[in-house]
Amino acid sequence: MQNLEIISINFWQIFVSLLNLVLLFLILKKLLYKPVRKAIQEREDALNQQYQAASDAEARAKAHEAEWNETLQNANAKADEIIKAAQTNASRRSEEIVNDAKGQAKGILTQARNEIELERKKSEDGIKHEIVDISALMAEKLLGREINQEDHRAWIDSFMQEIGESDDRNQ
Amino acid sequence: MQTATRRFRAVDALLIILMLLPLLCGIVIKILFVPPGEGMDISGAAVFFTIPLPIQSMPITESQVNSWLVMLFVTGFCLYMTHGIRAGVKTRRQHLAEWIVEKTDGLVKDNMGEYFAGFSPLIGAVLALSACSSLLTLLGLFPPTSDLNIVGGWALLVFCLITYYKMKCGPVHYLKSFAEPVALLTPMNVISEIATPVSMAFRHFGNVLSGVVISTILGAALTGLTTTLLGWLPGFLGDIPFLKVGIPAVLSLYFDLFSGCLQAFIFAMLTMLYVASAFPMEDYFQRRELKKKTQKQSTK
Repeated sequence: MQNLEIISINFWQIFVSLLNLVLLFLILKKLLYKPVRKAIQEREDALNQQYQAASDAEARAKAHEAEWNETLQNANAKADEIIKAAQTNASRRSEEIVNDAKGQAKGILTQARNEIELERKKSEDGIKHEIVDISALMAEKLLGREINQEDHRAWIDSFMQEIGESDDRNQ
Repeated sequence: MQTATRRFRAVDALLIILMLLPLLCGIVIKILFVPPGEGMDISGAAVFFTIPLPIQSMPITESQVNSWLVMLFVTGFCLYMTHGIRAGVKTRRQHLAEWIVEKTDGLVKDNMGEYFAGFSPLIGAVLALSACSSLLTLLGLFPPTSDLNIVGGWALLVFCLITYYKMKCGPVHYLKSFAEPVALLTPMNVISEIATPVSMAFRHFGNVLSGVVISTILGAALTGLTTTLLGWLPGFLGDIPFLKVGIPAVLSLYFDLFSGCLQAFIFAMLTMLYVASAFPMEDYFQRRELKKKTQKQSTK
């Protein structure tokens, strides 16, 4: 087996070597750079997507925040309204109840008074009767004679009336 | 899930085998077909067989075979690196693959600008092919970069790219560029134009070859030194080149590892700089603007 000279130039060898380099360039481009770039691109895309999703979520959260704030304020206002309404209602009801109670009490009082009056009149009448009877009896005994029951009664009645008036005046 | 991971691992193992098989093949071919050099034997690549072709017959040499093996190795490496690459996965392998891509992208962007962003696979290919070829010496194989034809081919490709980008503004602009800054310098410009690929090829070739030469000379020298110093040892002990243990490894660290990687880097850098500076960007964009305007006017 012979060797080449140390410095030898062969056109075909140079040509093949040139093609080798071009071939290796294509191999590297196809087998190393393309898949690696694809992977890097994919990762970047995924990252960008995540960033996008995060910013979207933030925007949505902000929008919701405003919404919630609004609803919260509305709810507060509503609650105030409800409380106010309840308070006015309650005060009105209580007033009504008190008035009712007052009215009823008045009614009861007047009734009681009337009854008392009636009772008093009844007892007054009873007493009058008794007094008349007793006085007639006494007068009969004293005079010893029969008195006209009718006249006597009329007289005593007028007398009693006077006493009653003087009594009222004294009070 | 279990079967999927098992299958994934099987494919992984297959790809690693695919990656390492070319290197093993290279060693086997070297052992089977290439006779070991003796002493100070510094010669070019061994010729396996010759294909008769017009102009010049084409020998299939060690350097050709080794550079194909390197290409296979790089292909296997790429397949292994990108196997199972996905957006969500965080493996060391993927990190390394992304690191390689991003570094070459950054290098190209820094040295050539945004316009040449598509050049990063080419620069990656130059780096990988050159560095791996030079590093084949670590396996005891013939480095294809110490063959002038191999690096000459790469330099020719760079020359083609330079010319292509210079021609972007039309052949007239290209020819005019030789007469700048004064017409008197035209022959100089032509020479420098041709010198560019030649110097690139010879620089790379010479640096790697010098390493090989120095390693060979040093090996022979150390063998001689051992025989003179320790030749008195009895029996076979006198035949063992003791001084060859360890000392060449230190030099190999520089000439094979450091120099190999550095030359790959230099070749890639020069490729980027020459191609980028060859492209008259301002003129090109001016011309394009002008063309657009004239097209608009003609359509009106």
